Amino acid sequence: MTTLVARVVSSFRRRALAALGVALVAAGALFVPLEAAVAPPRLQYQRFTLPNGLTVILHSDRSTPIAHVQIWYHVGSKNERPGRTGFAHLFEHMMFKGSKNVEPEQHTSIVSSVGGRANAYTNEDATVYWNTVPSQYLPLVLWMEADRLGSLRIDESTFVNEREVVKEERRMRVDNQPFGNLNELLYKAAFTTHPYKNPVIGSMADLDAATIDDVRAFFNTFYIPANATVVIAGDFDVAETTDLVTRYFGRIPAGAGKVPRDIAPEPVPAAEKRFTLEEAWPLPAVIVAHHITYDGHPDSYPLHVLAKVLSDGNSSRIFRSLVYDKRLAVAAFGSANLIEHPNLFYAVALVAPGQSPEAVEKALIAELDKAAADGVTDRELQRAKNQFARDYILGRESVQAKAGVLAHAEVLHADIATADGEFAIFQNMARADVQRVAKKYFTTGSRVVMHVRPKTGGSRP
Amino acid sequence: MSRRAFHIVQTSLLASIAVLVTSVGLSAGQGPRLPMVADALRWPTERPPRPLAAKKVTFPPYEIRTLPNGLKVVLVSQNEQPIVSARMLVRAGAAQDPKGKEGLAMLTAALLDQGTASRSSAQIAEEIDFMGGLLGSGAGTDLSFVNTVSMSDGLGQALDLMSDVVRAPAFAEAEIERQRQQALSSLTVAADDPDTVASQVIDRLVFGFHPYGMPSGGTVSSLSSLTRQDFVTFHKSWFVPNNALIAIVGDVTPDAAFAQVQRVFGDWAQAPVPAFAPMDPPPPVKRLIVIDKPGSVQTEIRAGHLAFERRHADHLVMDQVVKILGGEGGNRLQQVLRTQKALTYGASADLDAYKLTGAVIAETDTRTEATAEAVRTVVDEFFRLQRERVYEGELEGAQDFLAGSFPLSIESPDAIATRVLNQLFYDLPLEDLPAYPERVRSVTVDDVQRVAKSWLKPSSLSVVLVGDADRFMKDLAGAGFSSVERIPIEQLDLTSADLRRAQRGAQH
Repeated sequence: MTTLVARVVSSFRRRALAALGVALVAAGALFVPLEAAVAPPRLQYQRFTLPNGLTVILHSDRSTPIAHVQIWYHVGSKNERPGRTGFAHLFEHMMFKGSKNVEPEQHTSIVSSVGGRANAYTNEDATVYWNTVPSQYLPLVLWMEADRLGSLRIDESTFVNEREVVKEERRMRVDNQPFGNLNELLYKAAFTTHPYKNPVIGSMADLDAATIDDVRAFFNTFYIPANATVVIAGDFDVAETTDLVTRYFGRIPAGAGKVPRDIAPEPVPAAEKRFTLEEAWPLPAVIVAHHITYDGHPDSYPLHVLAKVLSDGNSSRIFRSLVYDKRLAVAAFGSANLIEHPNLFYAVALVAPGQSPEAVEKALIAELDKAAADGVTDRELQRAKNQFARDYILGRESVQAKAGVLAHAEVLHADIATADGEFAIFQNMARADVQRVAKKYFTTGSRVVMHVRPKTGGSRP
Repeated sequence: MSRRAFHIVQTSLLASIAVLVTSVGLSAGQGPRLPMVADALRWPTERPPRPLAAKKVTFPPYEIRTLPNGLKVVLVSQNEQPIVSARMLVRAGAAQDPKGKEGLAMLTAALLDQGTASRSSAQIAEEIDFMGGLLGSGAGTDLSFVNTVSMSDGLGQALDLMSDVVRAPAFAEAEIERQRQQALSSLTVAADDPDTVASQVIDRLVFGFHPYGMPSGGTVSSLSSLTRQDFVTFHKSWFVPNNALIAIVGDVTPDAAFAQVQRVFGDWAQAPVPAFAPMDPPPPVKRLIVIDKPGSVQTEIRAGHLAFERRHADHLVMDQVVKILGGEGGNRLQQVLRTQKALTYGASADLDAYKLTGAVIAETDTRTEATAEAVRTVVDEFFRLQRERVYEGELEGAQDFLAGSFPLSIESPDAIATRVLNQLFYDLPLEDLPAYPERVRSVTVDDVQRVAKSWLKPSSLSVVLVGDADRFMKDLAGAGFSSVERIPIEQLDLTSADLRRAQRGAQH
């Protein structure tokens, strides 16, 4: 049976939509123990840019005869225009609807027919298409990816059909599950301006409003080589693969111009925001969130450490205090959602039977305030660093994971060197850094408090 | 394109401005269309490139050794990353829950790391977290497990912890109460989740009162009845070395890994394992149950029937039959329900083959209005697969995926160990591991037809629908279902014969 934490965490993971459960790439999760006898190997790679602007990254690893191709388009839900929430993800579905030399729906079945796997996911910042195949089929996959970027079919009836599929996806993930819309409620409450206020899946009304002209405009604006990064990881010859990428992708024209990047920033909040809502949920929930910075900002690394100390493992403060010692909550966790633009640090608790949401709120805030007032202990800091070393290694076990780490650094940090370079930042972190950052962000003015009570009757309207 | 206009919309909630700017955005967006059309015209028409020379793929090396006390040890050494995982399987899970004690295996597993004879729950958590490790435990249908992950130099310490939680759990009353409370809360949430409810009800219909049909997470009454003695007895009966397997996987040599296992588990005393022979599951019968959950926007659909155990001689063929119906490389259900009819985001079918028996279960979900059409389509696909020979190409598709994905299935040392553990756990021949691609391709269309004919039971399908019954009940007769049992979700009781809660004051 799904654990409660897994259930609630999946509400947040659901922000990134994928047909399979693709783990999110942990932003900058790179720690090493101080007494690190054990250090993970650095990622080796080649990086180059084609004349049409396409960025290519190669990581050759010949240990298993498989190859992975991952293409990141630097466009996500935050690039959607008003009235078109959900469009980046809807468009992702359209990329499986055929191109000049590949019939609709054939991309995935061709890949399976050679024993591979292919899928895609969309989050706030990027849309990612991936393929893992036995390595002799690397040319096929590169050819198919170039074919859809160079010559996507855009057909009205296919589009109308696929929109219904996406609406079912929204019903399945968000509307028909306990806590399915938790994440959506929090972001709608916390953000006023920046498009992070909108769910990646979009609203039903906006999905219905989307047109085939939107599909064309989106493709022409965002699916251009200069907005794409191709990462190839696995068993291949570097020179041979460089030729292949150049041959298949090099013939795609550079495209219509600069990708628009002027996204309205979220104003600095003036005061604490509080909300009380009723939802058809089986248990009440309390969420305490703070506005924080973006992934890659110097403060983002201490924020990762704070998330570890507060919420990684059964020895973490929030679990220890709320779930184990006081038994105020049946599940509780916190996370620093560090992505491309400033986002939130949030702590969520499901209220235990017989306990009051007010007491849960007080206990969550007490933990965040304590981190700001007293910082973390030496032992906690060391523990967090050790946990990051583990995550760092576990996050590089497969060719898919390695490709994701490289692409994340290249696309979202605009600096591929950060894939390994953040290692030192974490290694050198001091308690004072952590406390300074906790004090800076865990303020009353930046706080959002949300209480969600079960609707009487239990069922949804 | 006027980006300034976007700012206006994003800072204003006035719908009228939104409409205005939407149209601005659209016309601006149409600007670059022409170049794309021209590009598409210029784009070459061509055939896909040929594959490169294929490499010979062999199953990576592994070793199996056995301790004198009967503990089987699988060793997979790979030093790409400085990390080691240890995985222990114990041959007892929810199937071994005594009647009325459902949830016992799950809670026993959850309690293992909540304190031992020598360490408190807090000490265990602090120790594993500080070393940057992971420790997890749980129970499945036929097995319980304890896993650790550690840096290469932490293997000894991780195994000390594993040995302690596997061999000497304290089952302290206070920890039992904590875990019981958590489990009861999980039940509250699960009972409100259509996906979970649908899966539980189909298992109950297919397996009846066989242990595989019972809820592994327990019920309010079974969880409330569990005592410390229940945990102690379950643990003592099943958690013995001759009933367990362990795999050590990653950056450690086989000899060093085996020496560590010997150090921490060498003095674990052997003991007889209790006999286990549950009743047979009932034969398949046609039955449609609607679990009414008013207000649902989708209906969760399950359809399935009894099949056979993992070791059955027809498993290899049946696996391909079910892949054609609803698995990777095939999946007629997905083609019809999603691609053609846009009724769902996903449809699939699984062959759930366990130790003692198994089932074929198809699943999908659809908007409430489309319930009858979707369920009719699922049932039709069972019939079609039994009635008509599959196309040669369709079978090849399933086989190409299963055989072709062999290199993908041995990428990580953990994946390799999983395959070895699987063979050992189900008492299957280890020679099948390297021969897997050839075995897959040996299956013919005739085999598929024979097995589909004898093992698919489209006329005896159990069907479960969880959704807003008022909005689709009237359509079910038209879709071929004349006899329907309807149960309000709050009255569902998986342990009663008619699936309904007894009528005395069950409301609260």
